[in-house]
Amino acid sequence: MFRIGYLARKLAIGALTLLAVATFNFILFRVLPGNPIQLQARAGNLSAEAVARLRELYGLDQPITTQYLIYLRDVFTGQFGTSITFQRPVADILAERLLNTLILLAAATILVVLLGIGLGIVAAARRGSRVDSATVVAALVFWSLPTFWTGLILVFVFGVYLHMLPVSGVSTPGLGLTSPIASFVDLVRHLILPTITLALVDIGQFVLITRSSLVDVLTEDYILTAKAKGLSRRQVVLRHGVRNALLPVVTTTALYVGLTIGGAIQVETVFSWPGMGRLMYDAVLRRDYPILEASFFIFAVVVVVANLVSDLLYQVLDPRVREA
Amino acid sequence: MQRHGSRDGEKRFGGLLVALILGLAACAPNATPSPSSSGVASAGPAASGASGPSASVAPSAVAPSSASLKVGWSSEPDTLNPLTTYSTEAEEVLQLVYDKLLDYGVDLSVEPGLAASNEYSADGLAITYHLQPNAKWSDGQAVTSADVKYTFEAIHKDSLGQYAQWLVDLVGVDTPDPQTAVVKFTKPQAFNPGLTIPILPAHIWSSKDAKAIGAFTNPTPVGSGPYRFVEWKKGESLTLKRSDTFWGPPPIAGQVIYVLYANEDVEAQALKNGDVDILTEVPPTIWDGLNGADNVKAVSLPSFSFHHIGFNLSTAAGSKGNPLLKDKTIRQALSNAVDRNQLVQLALAGHGKPGDSIIPIGLTDWHWAPTGDQVMDANPDKAKALLDAAGYIDRNGDGVRESPAGKPLEFRLIAIQSTSVDVRAAQLFRDAAAAVGIKLDLTTLDENTLGNTVYNKDTPDWDIFVWGWDSGVADPDYMLGVPLCSQIGGNNDVFYCDKTYDALYAKQASTVDVAARKAITDQMQQKYYEDAAYIVMWYQDKLQAYRTDTWGGWTEVEGGLVFNFTRDNYLRVFPLK
Repeated sequence: MFRIGYLARKLAIGALTLLAVATFNFILFRVLPGNPIQLQARAGNLSAEAVARLRELYGLDQPITTQYLIYLRDVFTGQFGTSITFQRPVADILAERLLNTLILLAAATILVVLLGIGLGIVAAARRGSRVDSATVVAALVFWSLPTFWTGLILVFVFGVYLHMLPVSGVSTPGLGLTSPIASFVDLVRHLILPTITLALVDIGQFVLITRSSLVDVLTEDYILTAKAKGLSRRQVVLRHGVRNALLPVVTTTALYVGLTIGGAIQVETVFSWPGMGRLMYDAVLRRDYPILEASFFIFAVVVVVANLVSDLLYQVLDPRVREA
Repeated sequence: MQRHGSRDGEKRFGGLLVALILGLAACAPNATPSPSSSGVASAGPAASGASGPSASVAPSAVAPSSASLKVGWSSEPDTLNPLTTYSTEAEEVLQLVYDKLLDYGVDLSVEPGLAASNEYSADGLAITYHLQPNAKWSDGQAVTSADVKYTFEAIHKDSLGQYAQWLVDLVGVDTPDPQTAVVKFTKPQAFNPGLTIPILPAHIWSSKDAKAIGAFTNPTPVGSGPYRFVEWKKGESLTLKRSDTFWGPPPIAGQVIYVLYANEDVEAQALKNGDVDILTEVPPTIWDGLNGADNVKAVSLPSFSFHHIGFNLSTAAGSKGNPLLKDKTIRQALSNAVDRNQLVQLALAGHGKPGDSIIPIGLTDWHWAPTGDQVMDANPDKAKALLDAAGYIDRNGDGVRESPAGKPLEFRLIAIQSTSVDVRAAQLFRDAAAAVGIKLDLTTLDENTLGNTVYNKDTPDWDIFVWGWDSGVADPDYMLGVPLCSQIGGNNDVFYCDKTYDALYAKQASTVDVAARKAITDQMQQKYYEDAAYIVMWYQDKLQAYRTDTWGGWTEVEGGLVFNFTRDNYLRVFPLK
């Protein structure tokens, strides 16, 4: 259903984008003032010899061009070097953190997208009704809630006063869980509050975009035609309306995934969720180049892939794009 | 010995070095538990045959428990390799897993560690350590003097990590028998390195060269200490369990679990909730909220840290610092202009003491304080008089004084953005300076950028900064060593260089007699205070909080209940339920 040429072109553009991003990352962090060894050396009152060994360990003694080539090799072999802060391979650290972020992100995205689209459809289908107004107002209110504040409120209500749910981390420390089921239940309990926080503050945009897109579509002539054909209201809205209205929603979803993978930092901070956002924030403060380069590169990959997927979904949803 | 920004990750500092250095049993610390550790019976010395000071390590009356002591912290270790770590958190964990030859008791007096006793040679050039006879590594092998020899010599030979600074004068370690290590130096050591260096198992580490050690993460540490490493869920928690082969009385808590919180409000709620038993560090605003909460006690204890204002005195050809600051008069005028008590009250919300010397007041035995006319503080009139007398007067009526050559007394001031107490202090300092006719332009930076700006020995492009120091050793040597000429390019952040001061430093470092050494260190502190390269603003308190219904027997000691250089609070607390 996709033409090979189209796909190849998209893939080539994606690959070029990634190379450019990789290069930009390398330059960006080296242009920033500060250097990763300096504060360590001072904290430990290190001898010149020890500092030289540190620089050698992280390859900072090499000329900048050599550093760049080593960096490119690392990036494209998925190794990313050694973290200067944690003194462990970056690939290992990212694997742990990415997994946590993906768990949170997957849960939140599913909730946000499904509920958001559903509510948007309900509102648009009953345009002008009280249900519609209430949904729009609620969506606007939730959209404007500060993430940090919302998270803290949930912590106080469900964690402190009701004692219902854990408020930090991905597992209960020292519980010594042995069975996979118990571990899974523990994880889910920890996942609830951060997921709800993300969902609450992010659902608004999906509701509003779905609604406005569907409202537009429902005024089209072909909708009138469909109605005139005697189709049921459900068929008109779902088959003729929603499919056409979903295009902007697909774009928004792709952007959302790309943004939240790095942007869940506030939720990760409130709930002490060991994910990518916090890792990056700390890495910036400590000038941990390998972590920064790797994280930014991964985000670039996610954004490029999400956009590619949304382009391809467009093809499925909209025949006109296919012809173009 | 760590620079700190937003959080004051204080390290261990020592008090009573005296007893140890003189090897006098008469000076041995008191073994009586402090009043707050009610219910804790005193225990005998850690091992039989100990000739050193005896101290209670753990109460013998309370049986070991299976309960977990949960500690909430807001930052986690960088690595568990003691030879490559730079974090206070790693040191905190590793001090329970590894032993040092000597330890600090819960009253910060020196007590036996892995060495049951030790003595100095008559010429002061050698220290003989007698190891605990039943000490074992957690993998079952015996701890011997060969391990001491390996640890000290490897650190010295390859200048490994932060401990190398204490073994600069090492000659070598003799091991006449498996229980005895004789550590030899080129000159007498005022500071006993046995108090700070963790002893590592030679059978695990000796096969690694310096490069391999640098890259080693030590994922499953093998130590001889009271706790063993269990697991570290990175970004979440770190768990230790009681060692069943520890040479001393077993600690009571079955596990120690460190729980990471990324948010301080949530961390405080977790303590109120009972999710954790103690917080290692509490910001002043949250401290006030915790103080008085049910079953929670918030403590404010003197610490071993200070925050200061520093002046760029660089004489490097490329220095872009304002040369007017090389005039001591201007620095002294600023020191007189600033009201340190106001800084403590307004910037620190009262959680600290006004500062003077670079040796914090926590080091009671070593701190020197100015008296009478020596005092420079909250005296704008004197500041103005000093400036007037030196010809710095406002010649053009713009409110800012000019030098006789017409250069305005206007300087750049930098502080760390995220360290709100420093930013507030910098603002107050700016106002105090303006009141005496000196204009300061404040810019805030992140810590790494500030560090990079300040520590640029060839082309330092700054005038005045606000920053802080933590010191990690039980001795004035470290802080007094910062302003040395030889530390320009190292720790000397203001590029101060004075031959007299340097000579005094060298003299005190090998003066083993405490009173004689104190006379020298007092002289150094006074000189540095008068030269006003630093304005020490305050000695901030250590703010912590703990639950009063889960674990009992906490001893409140200067430096903190935990994150102090004594590990005894961990070993002594007992479950209340």
